[in-house]
Amino acid sequence: MPLMGFVQQIGTGALVTIQVAVLAYLLALLIGTLFALATLKRRLVVNIAWQTYASIFTGVPSLLVAFLFYYAGSGIISSVLSLAGLNVTIDISPFMAAVAALGMVYGAYLADLIRSAIQNVPPGQFEATKVLLIPRPAAWVLVILPQVLRLALPGMTNMWIVVLKDTALISLIGLKEIMAYAKLASGVTKEPFIYYLLASAFFLGMTALTYFVSQRIEQWTRRGYRPVAVKGPAHAL
Amino acid sequence: MHYDFKLAWESMPALLAGTATTFTVLLPVLVLGLLVALPVALARLDSGPKSVAAAGYIAFFRGVPSLVLLYLVYSGLPQLSIVRDTFLWTFFSNAYVCAWVGLTLTHSGYMAEIIRGGLAAVPSGTIEAAAALGLSPRQVLFRLRLPMAARYVLKAYQNELLIMVKSTSAVSAITLVDLTAAANTVFDYTYDPFTPLVTAAAIYWCIINVMRIGFTLADQKLNRHLVRN
Repeated sequence: MPLMGFVQQIGTGALVTIQVAVLAYLLALLIGTLFALATLKRRLVVNIAWQTYASIFTGVPSLLVAFLFYYAGSGIISSVLSLAGLNVTIDISPFMAAVAALGMVYGAYLADLIRSAIQNVPPGQFEATKVLLIPRPAAWVLVILPQVLRLALPGMTNMWIVVLKDTALISLIGLKEIMAYAKLASGVTKEPFIYYLLASAFFLGMTALTYFVSQRIEQWTRRGYRPVAVKGPAHAL
Repeated sequence: MHYDFKLAWESMPALLAGTATTFTVLLPVLVLGLLVALPVALARLDSGPKSVAAAGYIAFFRGVPSLVLLYLVYSGLPQLSIVRDTFLWTFFSNAYVCAWVGLTLTHSGYMAEIIRGGLAAVPSGTIEAAAALGLSPRQVLFRLRLPMAARYVLKAYQNELLIMVKSTSAVSAITLVDLTAAANTVFDYTYDPFTPLVTAAAIYWCIINVMRIGFTLADQKLNRHLVRN
């Protein structure tokens, strides 16, 4: 059955899509966290570097960044390394280019999100960790980070869906993911409608799954959190 | 790897033609997206089956990548005989029309949600006051709710608009030569990927930042009554 054959291939493509999206998102989280922590205090050099980075990567389509990394990436890397006296050539696969492009573009967006979440953690929490003599690494990981997660989670969920959907666009650099296989299948079978609907169903399913999982995580991050002022009825009755 | 200024200058006409295509795709999508989003947002604010249908519309078109929609319209629709054999074919055989339709669906999904949020944020006391003063529901909508909502959603609209500018790079998948595709064409002819792609990136950067400045000015004008800290 040819139809089942293509469904299997689309499944393989869907796995590649998920791999690229997950790796790109982890890279974006890493870049975003580093920039968020580095720009918490006003330091001129770091801030200029951050502003330049953010301006470039939020002002250019991710597809163009991916094209640049894919076609010119190995040239850029070898010319940077030749400055250090090394003569290496690295082949860039579409997979690497896609992960790097999406990670760097959405790292710029996530940095803003994470920084404002850190800034919205009440200052008393930082002061309390100091008073209680909690070592700084433990204070960040055990006290601040869970609260940052609670504040940043809705934005991070949206960003994950954006990254996942952008992975479809990145297939244009030659990545063999779900869109590439859907296109292949519709070219061979002359049934484009069904295969593209299948791809839509995959993305809708992933979105639904994301909301389901994020609700669970949100509940988990909200454990032990109660608003200080409980809103009762405004009138006396 | 170095930036070749001579090549950048020589490829400028091709890149500017690509920029023109990008805008030819973008501008009708912005207008059509707004026109489609408004009734969807109003239906979403209503109750009953209309609201459920609008919620489905928003969820579907926000959940599906724009590239999938472009492929669905460009190569999926001609499979249907109602498109292939009627007057509709004169429209859908044109890649521009497909790009407009595909991107409008995405844009209207996001815009409907933005407009709904803006309309819901208008204080109910204001609307009640207008009704008490004898304004018709149509007047309340066009004279009061929409102008107020426009101010509330300015920031969200800026984000969405900038995302749309960047989304237009997907139309190269359906044979249109936009700015991204034009840069790739120059690369195909010259085997220099760095120069045309960086030049195209610079053009995108300028477009995005001119829009950002425009929104900042609009925000200063429209929201000048708000206290700033």
